[in-house]
Amino acid sequence: MLAQLRSLWSGIRRRDRMEDGMDEELRFHVEQYEADLVRSGVAPAEAKRLSRMRFGSLEVAKEQCREARWLRWPDELQRNVRFAVRVLRKSPGFTAVTMITLALCIGANTAVYSVVDAVLFRPIPYAEPERLAQVVTRVHAPGMDGINDDQDGAAWEALKHARSLEVAAELGLSVGVNLVAGRIPLCVQQTRITSGYFRVLGVPLQLGREFSEEEDRPGGPAAAILSHDLWMRVFAGDPAIVGKAILLKGEPHVVIGVARATFRPMTPADLWTPLRPSTTGEGGGENYIMTARVRAAFDWPQARSEAGSRGSASFHSGQFGPNAVARMDLLPLQEVRAGFLRTPMLVLWAAVGIVLLIGCVNIASLMLARGASRAREIGTRVALGGGRGAVVRQLLTESAVLSLAGGLAGIALGYAAIRGMTAVAEGYGIWQGLRLDLRVLAVMLAASLATSVVFGLVPAWRVSRVDVRAALLEGGSRAVAGRRSSWLGRTLVASEVALGLMLLIGAGLLVRTLLYLRSMPPGFDGRGVIAASVSLQDARYRDAGRVNRLYTQTLERIRSTPGVESASVGLHLPYERWLNIGVQFKDGPAAKTGWVNTTLNYVHPGYFKTLRIGLRAGRFLDERDTATSQPVCVVNEAFVRKYLRDQPAIGSHILMGNAAAEIVGVVGDVQQRPGLEGFGPIGAVYAAYVPATQFSGFELVHRWFSPSWIVRGSLPRRELVKAVQNAIRSVDHLLPLSRVRAIDEERDKALRMQRLSAALLATLAGLAMLLAAVGVYGVVSNSVVQRTRELGIRMAFGASVRQALLSAARPGVVMAGAGVLVGLGLAAALSPVLGTLLYGVKPGDPWTFAAAGLGLLFIAVLASVIPAMRVLRLDPARALRDE
Amino acid sequence: MLILKAVSLGPLHGYGVLLRIQQISGNLLEIEQGSLYPALYRLEHQGLIGSEWGVSENNRKAKFYRLTPAGTKRLRVETEQWDLLSLAVRNVLGTVPEEV
Repeated sequence: MLAQLRSLWSGIRRRDRMEDGMDEELRFHVEQYEADLVRSGVAPAEAKRLSRMRFGSLEVAKEQCREARWLRWPDELQRNVRFAVRVLRKSPGFTAVTMITLALCIGANTAVYSVVDAVLFRPIPYAEPERLAQVVTRVHAPGMDGINDDQDGAAWEALKHARSLEVAAELGLSVGVNLVAGRIPLCVQQTRITSGYFRVLGVPLQLGREFSEEEDRPGGPAAAILSHDLWMRVFAGDPAIVGKAILLKGEPHVVIGVARATFRPMTPADLWTPLRPSTTGEGGGENYIMTARVRAAFDWPQARSEAGSRGSASFHSGQFGPNAVARMDLLPLQEVRAGFLRTPMLVLWAAVGIVLLIGCVNIASLMLARGASRAREIGTRVALGGGRGAVVRQLLTESAVLSLAGGLAGIALGYAAIRGMTAVAEGYGIWQGLRLDLRVLAVMLAASLATSVVFGLVPAWRVSRVDVRAALLEGGSRAVAGRRSSWLGRTLVASEVALGLMLLIGAGLLVRTLLYLRSMPPGFDGRGVIAASVSLQDARYRDAGRVNRLYTQTLERIRSTPGVESASVGLHLPYERWLNIGVQFKDGPAAKTGWVNTTLNYVHPGYFKTLRIGLRAGRFLDERDTATSQPVCVVNEAFVRKYLRDQPAIGSHILMGNAAAEIVGVVGDVQQRPGLEGFGPIGAVYAAYVPATQFSGFELVHRWFSPSWIVRGSLPRRELVKAVQNAIRSVDHLLPLSRVRAIDEERDKALRMQRLSAALLATLAGLAMLLAAVGVYGVVSNSVVQRTRELGIRMAFGASVRQALLSAARPGVVMAGAGVLVGLGLAAALSPVLGTLLYGVKPGDPWTFAAAGLGLLFIAVLASVIPAMRVLRLDPARALRDE
Repeated sequence: MLILKAVSLGPLHGYGVLLRIQQISGNLLEIEQGSLYPALYRLEHQGLIGSEWGVSENNRKAKFYRLTPAGTKRLRVETEQWDLLSLAVRNVLGTVPEEV
């Protein structure tokens, strides 16, 4: 086999030499024979004749020699390709439309598939990824089944010594911390991990080692591992960094390792410090993400059953609600990492696949129309003895050439789109970078070839049944357009319309979701307010007194800046994710409900005023509420609606930890990014506010969240930021600002996923609609051309222009109508798939369906009427004479 | 097999192969001239014979074929198989009634 391929290759590569050689060799043979014959006494003229005759046809021998070397196949291919290129160049309009359609479809597919591949299919970048799992809790409660990703310290203790599993835990979020390098304070992103984290992922370090168990114990030595990027950026790649101390979070940490440049952590981070898991405080609640590797000697079922038995034993009663049954389980990490992106990705992929399908259908119907006009050419070829197989191969080669050219253009287009999307993708939590790798490339080339088969096969199939006599005759006289030859094209176009409508409805639902989310009242006035965060996860700010002194002193300075209207500090801002805590009620009927969830924010006086959050009852928190005064809090309306329906809110007491805070006011709701079930991407979550002066858990909450300074003023943004910066620097020069932003930017961030999927699906739906319109246009205009004579006769017999126009446009309108009906049915059947992505609109929303259906119908009618208008220019006399 | 055998006796050009086969078969076998070359090309394609350009007896440029190692092996295998077959056929044809 190898010898054959080598011989084929050299035959193709040195074709000229081979042909010359063959020629020479055969000639030598014949002449030598002739000479021998002459020598044996045959007359020279007779010898020449005899030698030629005995040998037979030189050309046949040559052809057989070529075949012996397998050269027939490349020969025919080459001939077909050359012919195809010539044919395609002869009809530039058709070629251009087809190529553009294909380029757009393949381009969109390349771009989307590269994202789908990055999210769903590319193996996670760790050793033996199929053995990696995330530890989850399956919770079954009446009316609610769920999967909980987060684990507490007890679960960690329970699984730490599992036989079939190696586990590692991390705090599932990265938090800004302060790093002083040289004399410049920086805010860098930190994630806390347990010892063994890198071992479980199977990722070696560039330098040094990972955390030891000693360092991972509460009160253990302070140590840090740097990311490659931070090491290069801040420490200039210092090879002797391991063992040196850096000033981090207000105290010295020894650098014990540096991660590799290729390491992609599950939570993006600049550096890592030990998690120090415990069963109290942070570990008392479900705050850890646990990753597990199934040990080599065990398999998944064993690991799952051990996680189930050991892990579930760590749950305390009522941990997941009064009537819930919970069991610990393992989910493949690969699947978990795709996470919430999974559904949108699959929807998007299906959508872009539909666009490709519509594109194919379009091209197929174009090909079909072309096939009709080429019937005569093909009939002639068959009549002259061209084998049907050869004709079909020729037609398939034509479509393959088209699809490969269009496919390459599409891949180039997709490549450009990927480059544009790379930066965006990072922000959307697509943590494995997008790239046009060989996998994507191979899939796309295969897809474009598959399209050629799909759209090339139909016309080729028709050719194989072409009736030579009829083709030649019909091509000659062009009678009334046959009913038989057009039904296939019309069905194709109707299905295009149906598919297009499906996409349009999907896009409409997502756009309505986005509009709904954007229309939700923010509950505050963010115009002219800037925010800046400062990390207080700092050894020097563990004490509540110091934190409050920092707030009071900096706010005093900021407020005294001319042009500043008001300023305050809060742990959270609207559109962010807030701290969740469990609270109880001390009095009234609510006292019987037990522990309930709420979000909690600590604020400095002036917070509500600065954000212009409305007061509904009682009073705001203010200067009267000090560390020593009666503990108080303010709740929002959602909180009252949820928990305090049956009693006056003002005057009730909430138990948080061991202190009882009296509710002194009710404020309006603001939008938050909920960490709780049952809300959309943003929503008015029940919330409680406590005065910063009376808050005691700074050390803990500052591990997870950085408080924000907010300033409202008439100054330009830059001046406001400078006021905050100067004030903080003058109180503590080692505290850097991070995440300086206008508060409205948070909303855009909170809704970016919805915006992206709505925009992408709308783009695809637009493309699909355009293609469907082109399809309808093509079929109608083609039928007008074919029916010129028929329409001419009708008009000559007295049909009005109106009637002729209607008769010409009718097939398009009928097709579109049928397509819309089928599309509505399909969309109704499939739209529940979108269910989890929709908010404020039902999957079967009649308005969206009606609007999309009517819109598409309108466009289809337009696309039918425009080509039918040609009838107006039809001169009956000429139409008749022309034939 | 015949071509391989002919070529195994020394490098030959196509016409030479034809003559050699006729000669060693005592003119019993005649090969159709036109089909010789496709056969040669097929053998070369399979890597059983190699070829190079040389000069013929009367000083003309000609393509000479020779056996490759793979060809030598194939010739041996085919010869053995042929011997076996012809022995079997001879045995069958030479059988007399008493021996059954």
